[in-house]
Amino acid sequence: MANTETALKEATAIDGAIGAALVDYTSGMALGTIGGGKELDLNVAAAGNTDVVRAKVRTMEMLGLNDEIEDILITLGGQYHLIRLLKGRGTNGLFLYLALDKERANLAMARHQLKKIEAELDI
Amino acid sequence: MTVSPMLNRLAAERATGALLRDHGTLYLVDGRVVHAESPASPGLDVLLTTGGRLPREGWDEAVDRAGARREVGRFLVDSGRLHDGELEICHLGAVFDAAFFALAPASGPTRFRYGVGHWFGTVRPVSTEAVERETVRRRELLDSVWPYSAVDTAPVLPRPAAPGQTVTPRRRALLAAADGSRTPADIARRLGRPAFHTLLDVRRLAAAGLVETPLEPLPAAPPAVPTWVGEVAADPDVALLRRLRDALEASL
Repeated sequence: MANTETALKEATAIDGAIGAALVDYTSGMALGTIGGGKELDLNVAAAGNTDVVRAKVRTMEMLGLNDEIEDILITLGGQYHLIRLLKGRGTNGLFLYLALDKERANLAMARHQLKKIEAELDI
Repeated sequence: MTVSPMLNRLAAERATGALLRDHGTLYLVDGRVVHAESPASPGLDVLLTTGGRLPREGWDEAVDRAGARREVGRFLVDSGRLHDGELEICHLGAVFDAAFFALAPASGPTRFRYGVGHWFGTVRPVSTEAVERETVRRRELLDSVWPYSAVDTAPVLPRPAAPGQTVTPRRRALLAAADGSRTPADIARRLGRPAFHTLLDVRRLAAAGLVETPLEPLPAAPPAVPTWVGEVAADPDVALLRRLRDALEASL
């Protein structure tokens, strides 16, 4: 049974991880961040990526797709950004955000590990 | 930007106690925020029990058995009612939600009661800077979405959707709860959602034309005549007025 801090620590143990954040996607607030450093302000990334999630939710609504988003992958020149939506019971919509160095990361492995972290967080 | 100079000072001196403001209370331990409450935002009990996550008896039992020793949060986890991460996330959400209203610009007095603690107990303390930064970010976010704060406190009045316009399930539930008299705060409590989240949804709905935006009260009209007229009228020069009348009559 992990708390948010241990969950984020596990996320940064993923190969190639640059930083991670647990984000409330209605308000855009980061409930916790780890890593990131100077080149990636995770609080700004948290708020900005809520727009990405919201846009996708709205598009699915418009298309009448009766489904849920599991994760969203954004591929940059040098990084991967993974957004994993958490299916919590009492939550108002949260996602885990993970930035990876493309050179050092194994994408399939990272997705799998992020899924495991979600299960352990057990919200 | 400084939200509350007093809060900064209390953080610097690592104070423990309760900061009482017009719209809510912040609880500090060693200069860090451990809890917040506001009449404008639903409490943790509402957030946890309304959605059915926790039965009301479960909450009451925790308050009865652990309230006196200020360990209600701990008790909920130890008794298996909630998971660690769940409690933390829900509590943090409630703290930032109440802090947003407690730190709203207010004219009333701000007081600090040293040594006062909250019965819920400490879950995860956050720095006062983080609370202030988030509060400012939230204010700016609301205004960037739809800069009409009148929708925050007025009863929510839904408007018909345009052809092809869709609404997400979250907002559909909000609109369904809007009966013409409930304000966003009432709806938040009814749905067991944080109040800020509901304000944000209402502003987004208003921006999309799905909720009425009430007219802002008109600014007070400038006085029609200069104020010195009133002062003069209080003590009229009767002799001068008589001479004026006489002169006017003579010229007619």
